[in-house]
Amino acid sequence: MVSFIAGLLDATVQAATVLLLAGMGELISERAGVLNLGVEGMMLVGALGGFITTVVTGSHWLGFGVGILLGMVLALVHAFLCITLKSNQVISGVMLTLLGTGLTTFFGSGWVEESISGFPQMTFPLVGQYLVGIPVIGEAFFRSTATDYLALGLLVVVWYFLYHSNLGLEMIAVGEDPEMADTMGVSVFRLRYLAVLIGGGFAGAAGAHLSLAFSQLWVPGMTAGRGWIAVALVIFAQWRPRRMLVGAYLFGLLDALRIRSQSISLTLGPDAPLAGVINPMVEFLMTPQIMGTYPYLATIIVLAYAVIRTKSDQLAVPSALLQSYSRETD
Amino acid sequence: MSEDTTLRMEGILKEFPGVVANDHVDLSVERGEIHGLLGENGAGKSTLMKILYGLYSQDDGDIYLDGERLDLGSPQDAIDAGIGMVHQHFMLIPRLTVAENVVLGEREPATAFRSDAADSWLPAAIRNNSLVQSLAGQFSLGLDVPEQRIQDLADQYGFDIDVSAKIWELDVGQQQRVEILKALYRDVDLLILDEPTAVLTPTEAERLFDSLERLTDEGLSIIFITHKLTEVDAIVDRVTVLREGQNVGTAEVSSVSRADLAEMMVGREVLFEIDREAVDLGEPVLRARGVEATDNRNIEALSGIDLTVRQGEIVGIAGVSGNGQKELAEVMAGIRDVTAGELVVNGEDITGAKPKTFVDSGVSFVPEDRLQYGCAEDLSVMHNATMKDFRDSRFGDRPFLDYGELREYAETLVEEFDVRGVSDVTETKAGDLSGGNLQKLILAREIYRDPDLLIANQPTRGVDVGAIEFIRETLLEQRKAGTGIILLSEDLDEIFDLSDRILVVYEGEFVYETTPAEADRERIGLEMTGGGDDEGQMETSPPPSGVTQGSES
Repeated sequence: MVSFIAGLLDATVQAATVLLLAGMGELISERAGVLNLGVEGMMLVGALGGFITTVVTGSHWLGFGVGILLGMVLALVHAFLCITLKSNQVISGVMLTLLGTGLTTFFGSGWVEESISGFPQMTFPLVGQYLVGIPVIGEAFFRSTATDYLALGLLVVVWYFLYHSNLGLEMIAVGEDPEMADTMGVSVFRLRYLAVLIGGGFAGAAGAHLSLAFSQLWVPGMTAGRGWIAVALVIFAQWRPRRMLVGAYLFGLLDALRIRSQSISLTLGPDAPLAGVINPMVEFLMTPQIMGTYPYLATIIVLAYAVIRTKSDQLAVPSALLQSYSRETD
Repeated sequence: MSEDTTLRMEGILKEFPGVVANDHVDLSVERGEIHGLLGENGAGKSTLMKILYGLYSQDDGDIYLDGERLDLGSPQDAIDAGIGMVHQHFMLIPRLTVAENVVLGEREPATAFRSDAADSWLPAAIRNNSLVQSLAGQFSLGLDVPEQRIQDLADQYGFDIDVSAKIWELDVGQQQRVEILKALYRDVDLLILDEPTAVLTPTEAERLFDSLERLTDEGLSIIFITHKLTEVDAIVDRVTVLREGQNVGTAEVSSVSRADLAEMMVGREVLFEIDREAVDLGEPVLRARGVEATDNRNIEALSGIDLTVRQGEIVGIAGVSGNGQKELAEVMAGIRDVTAGELVVNGEDITGAKPKTFVDSGVSFVPEDRLQYGCAEDLSVMHNATMKDFRDSRFGDRPFLDYGELREYAETLVEEFDVRGVSDVTETKAGDLSGGNLQKLILAREIYRDPDLLIANQPTRGVDVGAIEFIRETLLEQRKAGTGIILLSEDLDEIFDLSDRILVVYEGEFVYETTPAEADRERIGLEMTGGGDDEGQMETSPPPSGVTQGSES
């Protein structure tokens, strides 16, 4: 049982990192008012680009960097369409996800057989070697890949950036009321580009982490909907970095449970009362496909709760999300 | 041009597709004065000021500030030049604090990195390095010093503002003072205020005027955009009048009369006398008995209303805002359900029927909130003009619509009701029209279908002198044509000028009935506030006497 929980926690951390990285990117982009539904595509591009680079050069750090870069390239397309051309953010995002999926399926077909030596498991710098011995959680939290630690570090950076820097304040302003920001001399155009590019970089990093640290191989469509979960995670977190940490680990746990669901038996003994009713229900709820919907269900519940609890003008969603801006059209 | 001239705008031209918003406008402002910019809605005042603030770029013309030619590519350029603007719709982010709103864009670094910090642990050599300053300005944010400065400014001008409060916690008057603080924080020399009193109560407006006078005492120059003549009298030193994008003259306020200004604004003599002929009353078009209804929070708003309106009669309903007028209008228009009582329109009991039944029975409605309920902002003028009647057979056989007919109908309405700012009825969005013109469009839609009963809630609120006159005349014409009209207004003059009968509503009940001829204003005032018990303060807007003073003829 202990080893099962330890293994589960380990998988949770791994899965959470993917969501955390992609979610932070989405959060920054949305706080600036641009919805990015292309995360899934950007993750795939980052995953494949990072994988190929690592195969060719042997350096997983170089691969990680290329993954970030490719995510940003795709994000640049999104930024150009949505900010410069003011086209519909939803359409552009979905299109980019389809594009990323198509491109990586085509160009990645020859790389499925390849193997790499990706990010190794390592103890947390300095203190990790002592803490790793803690029962149950030690291995999970203090022996991980460098990217797992990096993601947590970046969360602090993102939080600080948004709430304690001028650029962050300006980015929030641009996402709340671009016209107001413009009248204060803030360049809406530049900040939104910056936010979308950062968002793409994070999505690319999430993809690269997936192929270089999480699974250490390339499979077409390997993101398996995690990009969409990242979008849901931002809503779940109500656009706040700190809540995103909780959400990422919760969703990560659900993901880890889903993969292991076949080996878990929560059914009652045949003699237990109501076993005939409860057991089929539990089995149904533990079906991997059904478990895959839990993050979305959780998001719906959080969203409904937030709407009911708060007045609409206090909702956490950036007021100018999905709105394009230009000066002389009002 | 005198030596004290601070701002000169020369030959400003700005064209939008199909409309010349500013047609070679000149404007000059003296140092330390409050300069009024007066004009009807859509006269080009806001456009001119947006050019001055760098939000729009002019197609032709030059701007000089203190003799220097300005090239304003963005608001940042205007801010750098010392120009600040308080917009008509507040430019504040509700979720952020006062201080965050004020310093936005100023790149205030963390206190330790400030070049003027007294006791920073960082050596001055590092702090003053331009790269360090730029990085600190982007990646850090220090609010302590700015908050102190904002507080000092607020104290200096007598603003009661908590700098760390969130904007949504403040009332409208406070929010406006934050807007002014935004400009003061940037050390502006010239402050533009775009219709600043539109959102304020009379008391708050008084406070604003006091503050503005203090600002000019400190040497600031102020441009005050308005379409209210009373405000020009109250606060402005010199006034420039715009009409249809052109400057029609600048004058010392002390040397012109209101009538002159009104004529300059509208381009013709404004009728101060309303011609209200006697009309024979016909059959009752509306008979309401014992009507009760609740408001949006489910609290009783109407408690037993009896009301009969006859053909050719205007029933004016006076009352302090929030005594059930909104619910009364909505119930009569069929868009709010009654909880008790009955409504009979043209002899037919349609209590509880759908809004469409009311429409089909000949009920027309001009709602209080033009943008939210009066129109579909993002749809074209044509769609809005035909919204109530598109089912009519003259617009084609269902399910198909004859767009040619719709278009023609909309164009007729625009023409006959003098709706300005429409370049193409199918292209121009209703939400892009100015307040007065949108109101004319709504009135056109409601009246052109020849209603038997018209409910007009605050039909002239927030519209300019020319449109007010037009709307009142239209209502009287409609009365002559035999329509029964319910007029709800907070403007007592309007009620007196137009009504055949006056009812005072207080806490959801009619408490007093009279006619303009025998009415006593003081009595009405008392009844409006609860029979002289003097519980609530009566909040009537200062009567625009002299401009809209009407009389019985």
